[in-house]
Amino acid sequence: MKALILVGGFGTRLRPLTLSVPKPLVDFANKPMILHQFHHAKILLDQNLKQGYSIPIEALKAVGVSEVVLAINYQPEVMLNFLKEFEAKLGITITCSQETEPLGTAGPLALARDKLIDDSGEPFFVLNSDVISEYPFKEMIEFHKAHGGEASIMVTKVDEPRNRIELRPTSIEKEVFPKIAAEKKLYAMVLPGFWMDIGQPRDYITGLRLYLDSLRKKSSSKLASGAHIVGNVLVDESAKIGEGCLIGPDVAIGPGCVVEAGVRLSRCTVMRGVRIKKHACISSSIIGWHSTVGQWARVENMTILGEDVHVCDEIYSNGGVVLPHKEIKSSILKPEIVM
Amino acid sequence: MQSSEEKVVAVIMVGGPTKGTRFRPLSFNTLKPLFPLAGQPMVHHPISACKRIPNLAQIFLVGFYEERELALYVSSVSNELKVPIRYLKEDKPHGSAGGLYYFRDVIMEDAPSHIFLLNCDVCCTFPLPDMLVEHRRNGGMGTVLVIKVSAESANQFGELVADPTTNELLHYIEKPETFVSDLINCGVYVFTPDIFTAIQGVSTHREDRASLRRVSSFEALQSATRTHPTDFVRLDQDILSPLAGKKQLYTYETTDFWEQIKTPGMSLKCSSLYLAQFRYTSPHLLASGDGTKSATIVGDVYIHPSAKVHPTAKIGPNVSISANVRIGAGVRLSDCIILDDVEIKENAVVMHAIVGWKSFIGKWSRVQAEGDYNAKLGIAIIGESVTVEDEVVVINSIVLPNKTLNDSVQEEIIL
Repeated sequence: MKALILVGGFGTRLRPLTLSVPKPLVDFANKPMILHQFHHAKILLDQNLKQGYSIPIEALKAVGVSEVVLAINYQPEVMLNFLKEFEAKLGITITCSQETEPLGTAGPLALARDKLIDDSGEPFFVLNSDVISEYPFKEMIEFHKAHGGEASIMVTKVDEPRNRIELRPTSIEKEVFPKIAAEKKLYAMVLPGFWMDIGQPRDYITGLRLYLDSLRKKSSSKLASGAHIVGNVLVDESAKIGEGCLIGPDVAIGPGCVVEAGVRLSRCTVMRGVRIKKHACISSSIIGWHSTVGQWARVENMTILGEDVHVCDEIYSNGGVVLPHKEIKSSILKPEIVM
Repeated sequence: MQSSEEKVVAVIMVGGPTKGTRFRPLSFNTLKPLFPLAGQPMVHHPISACKRIPNLAQIFLVGFYEERELALYVSSVSNELKVPIRYLKEDKPHGSAGGLYYFRDVIMEDAPSHIFLLNCDVCCTFPLPDMLVEHRRNGGMGTVLVIKVSAESANQFGELVADPTTNELLHYIEKPETFVSDLINCGVYVFTPDIFTAIQGVSTHREDRASLRRVSSFEALQSATRTHPTDFVRLDQDILSPLAGKKQLYTYETTDFWEQIKTPGMSLKCSSLYLAQFRYTSPHLLASGDGTKSATIVGDVYIHPSAKVHPTAKIGPNVSISANVRIGAGVRLSDCIILDDVEIKENAVVMHAIVGWKSFIGKWSRVQAEGDYNAKLGIAIIGESVTVEDEVVVINSIVLPNKTLNDSVQEEIIL
């Protein structure tokens, strides 16, 4: 069986992070987003097939998916280089289907048709790589075969029924499903658990909280512990944390980071190679790769620092969105984009 | 008396993909030296100016961009203007004078008697032949192009004091804190080959000082100051300043326009300056029309031959339209640059803006700004492959590449 993962698009909602890498390679909980779907067999499938978060590939393998097709249209060479590493490790074939123009959600399906359809008559999965969730693939297959219709759609109750899905040309959701529903061939299965689109910064931060919460539920040893840790915190083993810090809740600190003494971090992501200098205080923010945050700086309220951004000592940032390779020498008092 | 054997070469500094961010968002998708002003790449203007120098043997472009990024342009412009042009890539920063020195062997290949040095991101009339005549008359090692600016703005540049009779450069200081002079350095120079000896002198002197410093224990008490490697030589601080007042350097004043092209807003202003200049130097490049067989043209307008403009459109003043652009019926454009492959649908209005490559401007939509070239949002900038839907209004805003605007925006940066 095959699976198509919709990876395409420019990830403009996740700018400035996606100005440096394509969206699937933006780190989430210290791993590129796409890897959460390619995660290695460390995470176990439980007897009830209630899968843990972030293991669609493992989950896909378990139900007999042997090949994954990625539909991409942006920086394919970056993705392909990245994938070479993992294909061997995973024992699953990964191919790319490249759109030359963005085709919406159904377009890639049509384009990848040759790769997805074979003589077996087996159904195939379509996944949106933006989404993290629990993936009950086996239940879904059984459900799909039982009703004999053309398509099964995963639905979930959301607390805020805001329209998360952009209506774009040839969107599966907008055009294809209504047709199939009209023919009475569409069946809905309620997804247990949650569904979270982490395609934009606010949802990214909430998503991290949910993800770390799920790790806690599984008593994961990956979560940090210690007198300086509050709540769920992920710290890469190569990161260094100084004396007198208070880290958490809902923090991820990536590889090679240095958090100097007296730093307070909460509800934030600190990506690879970042240095947080002494006495700084960061909350509800994303600090991009190789950036630095100066001494006594205060960074909060959805501040997003792109790659290689340097916030000088004693600076205050209230929701600053800073593009890569910038130096912040004066405070940002209200949310603002710094280009 | 000028010998007919005396050759002249020109070196144009084009910069590179440094972390310089001032040209965003246009710099996301294009090299700054290739950004079009008045229908020609930025670097084309100094190159064309160099062609007017008598006995010009070669033009060198020096920068940090990868060779392949400029290869196509260099070979095509070299063919078009029938002058040898070479791109020399620096492996690491050598400073504005160090770069010249680094390539001295290649530059001196034809044993030129004079070497012009120009910065690519300078917009002016480049009075190079006159500068050369004056330089020969002065008999010094170098002549610097200068211009008078307002006293308030002078301190953003290198300020000079010149002798009013001999034009000798008496004093030079880069970005001074207090007012020195309203005469500033335009970034265009002509030198004799002695310049290389002068640059080498700076490197050697620095080496000597460096070895002395290693011995001094006083250094341990100093806070670490940024020391340059010995081969990093800046033209302003390391050559012009020390040699001022020693009868080696002279000035040549221009009274025409001069601007630096550091931001997208300034590129629109400079495009207009060059369009105005075309009216005198190459009027055949400018468009004309009165709405009967072709669109109504007001003021200085450049339209690429492959662009299609509906006869009911009104274009200008100060508009530059690049290749393969489609302008629909009833469109109004003024003070803007429309880049390659853009489509502008019926009755849309674009004023004080730059519309990026392959973008789509819908019917009755409006893209405009106030036209303050120096303000952050003073010129509306639409990045590459942006769609502005029908009837949407974009005011005083910047839109990054690959966005679709369904709703109107004002005073915003859309990531």
